[in-house]
Amino acid sequence: MLLTLLFVSLLVFMVVRVLPGDPALIMLGIEASPDAVARMRESLGLDRPVPVQYAEWAGRAVLGDLGRSIQYDVPVAGLIASRLSVTLPLTIMAAALMLMAAIPLGVFAATRHRRWGDYAAMTLSQLGIAVPGFWAGLLLILLFSVKLGWFQAGGFDGWGQGAGHALKSLLLPAVALGLFQFAVLARTTRSALLEVLREEYVKTARAKGVAERAVIFRHALKNAMIPILTVAGVQLGQLMAGSIILESVFYLPGLGRLALGAISARDLPVVQGVVLFVASAIVVINAAVDMLYGVLDPRIRYE
Amino acid sequence: MTVLRGLALTLLALLLSAAPAAAQGALTVQVSTEPPGLDLTSNPSSAIAGVVFYNVQEALVKVDRHGKLVPWLAERWYTTDSKNYTFFLRKGVRFHNGREMKAADVKFALDRAVNPETKHPYRVQYENVQDVIVKDDYTISVTLKLVQANFLWTVARQGSVIYPREAVDTLKTQPMGTGPFTVADWVRGDRIVLVKNKDYWQKGLPRLDKVTYRFIPDPNSALASLKSGDIDVSAFGLGPENVDELKKDGRFQVILGDTTNDVTLSMNNSKKPYLDKRVRLAITHAINKEEVLKGAMFGYGKILGSNVDPLNPYYVDVSKREPYDPAKAKKLLAEAGYPNGFEATFKVAPQYYYTVRSAEVIVNQLAKVGIRAKIQQIEWGQWLAQVFCLKPCENPDYDMSIIGHAEAWDIGNFANPKYYFRWDSPEFQALFKESEVTVDDRKRRELYVKMQQMLADEAPAVWLYMHPRLVVTKKGVTGIWKDLPVPSLDLSEVGWQK
Repeated sequence: MLLTLLFVSLLVFMVVRVLPGDPALIMLGIEASPDAVARMRESLGLDRPVPVQYAEWAGRAVLGDLGRSIQYDVPVAGLIASRLSVTLPLTIMAAALMLMAAIPLGVFAATRHRRWGDYAAMTLSQLGIAVPGFWAGLLLILLFSVKLGWFQAGGFDGWGQGAGHALKSLLLPAVALGLFQFAVLARTTRSALLEVLREEYVKTARAKGVAERAVIFRHALKNAMIPILTVAGVQLGQLMAGSIILESVFYLPGLGRLALGAISARDLPVVQGVVLFVASAIVVINAAVDMLYGVLDPRIRYE
Repeated sequence: MTVLRGLALTLLALLLSAAPAAAQGALTVQVSTEPPGLDLTSNPSSAIAGVVFYNVQEALVKVDRHGKLVPWLAERWYTTDSKNYTFFLRKGVRFHNGREMKAADVKFALDRAVNPETKHPYRVQYENVQDVIVKDDYTISVTLKLVQANFLWTVARQGSVIYPREAVDTLKTQPMGTGPFTVADWVRGDRIVLVKNKDYWQKGLPRLDKVTYRFIPDPNSALASLKSGDIDVSAFGLGPENVDELKKDGRFQVILGDTTNDVTLSMNNSKKPYLDKRVRLAITHAINKEEVLKGAMFGYGKILGSNVDPLNPYYVDVSKREPYDPAKAKKLLAEAGYPNGFEATFKVAPQYYYTVRSAEVIVNQLAKVGIRAKIQQIEWGQWLAQVFCLKPCENPDYDMSIIGHAEAWDIGNFANPKYYFRWDSPEFQALFKESEVTVDDRKRRELYVKMQQMLADEAPAVWLYMHPRLVVTKKGVTGIWKDLPVPSLDLSEVGWQK
């Protein structure tokens, strides 16, 4: 895990420095004098050797200090924390909606295998895969914000005006964000359940007269959960990373937009900090998913 | 099932929860670019000016909505030789921390602008200041090394704002000044909130209690926010493609005006074939600017002939001096040794969508005279590195590009042979130098007319059009400037119609 993070930190550090574009010039704009740009570059420490810059940054990062944002002049760690107050609930909401919709749909399709219910469910999931998230987002805005006026077209007013108001402003983006992953998970649920329903013990349970509801939910679905959980775990990481586009469509001040803005502005400390943070989060999520296998399946236990 | 039912009820509750109602004394303004800090004295970005200038911080002299220089923190001034100026400050003007503004504060701000240790981005503008002397608490004199015709403009620009010395360290995050608003909050990446300065020196102003700037870079999102009522004013960022539709919508009013933003097609004068004036003139004659304006800006904006915009008092229309004439273009290309034209690349940054649209129209026009141009869309950082090319970059890496130059009075860029146009004309440089020290208005005007004519005839670049000011507000919002003679968004007189 530590090796992965070290590799990621090196990679992001080098990539942002190879990119053309001078952070000092981007900050000051084309009306600034060359002297002003040179002085800014010096004040940002960009004139020092690259290995020195990396060693200083990595040394501080290990202690939780990710440096200061060039454009905002605030600690990067604080910036990430403030953006997490948007991206984390957005991701969790998208994941919750995804699970709420995908698992029942997958079960519905699997239990009506090769009948109209199955075909309808899979057509719906196919739409979810085909429709790009940003387009879905724009359509949702057009209908629910512009036409009906039920929701804001975007933005996030903060948690200060109540959790209800805050969550409401994240609902449309969460739906758009979770759409693709919902479609994939629905198909995964259907396939996993179909495979389990073919098992001998399921036939035995039915032969013994166990109610179909119990067969599906108490026996079959539980065993199908391992592949479903694996995919859902990977999708959680993808939801977090995928929020970058939806945050731009809905102009949410989240982690994704922070990263996008930082790349455009060549705010190197922020780009490095966000990438390192997201990489760490994905590593932790994967580890948590691995641990959960042991809970679901007693045969899998970690010593 | 209970879980599902619970979640469904939660969703319903969310749907029914109402947003807090907007107060009449409040205004939400959309802008497309978040300012890179709030310090006007260390960064010339117009995004900072849009929030801080006129609203939080003020200068001695003001450019008003008509482009005229009028009293501001200085209630009057005089000079007999355009080298020694005396400013008489208003009495009783207080900074946001309650302390009265005095001449010592003005001296501090101006000395700091002159000091090479400070990272003032326009220090070259203040290099001519020899001395700043406090005569008394409300009188200050400034002596220049040389006569400077535009000195009052220097004193009126965004880098000349007056602030208390005790607030120097927080200028970037919490600027303090004498303006009608103070900065209440800055949620990075989302919004800046300004609130009314109850002790503002202009009685009766500001009309608003609170202003929220929302950063919405995407024009579609900005349009959706406007139509759904989330924002009251779209100040920067809506495209001209929406104007006709919004004009017909009775909920909104569209404000169309002039700016100092000259959309310029640059040519790399340091390399072939652009170092040949005949080629540059051929490109000028090949371009139908009316078509470009229609295609890129839906007809909004004004055709330009040189680097001076209609808001400048010395503006003359030189756009007909080298008119659209494809036959002449072909003839000039043949004379220059390119009878079959040549290949070229436009490097443009899609972040400024109007540059891409303009390039698309122009590429077709150039093709008709044999210039086979293609468009390369590059990210802004790359544009700055390759096209704008500041030290340590030695040679700009581009053929042609398009970008808007927003600064007022920036004809001096063409007197700088190191500027990315790389045009080196000693004759033009001499004219510009003379104009900077000529204070007689009539003579200065003559020099400016000569410079504009020379730019049109030498064609170091092609000036396409003045980018229009396009502001859309909800009906009932009053007081917004129609034209933009300086980068700013003066909200002191903006309010809701009663």
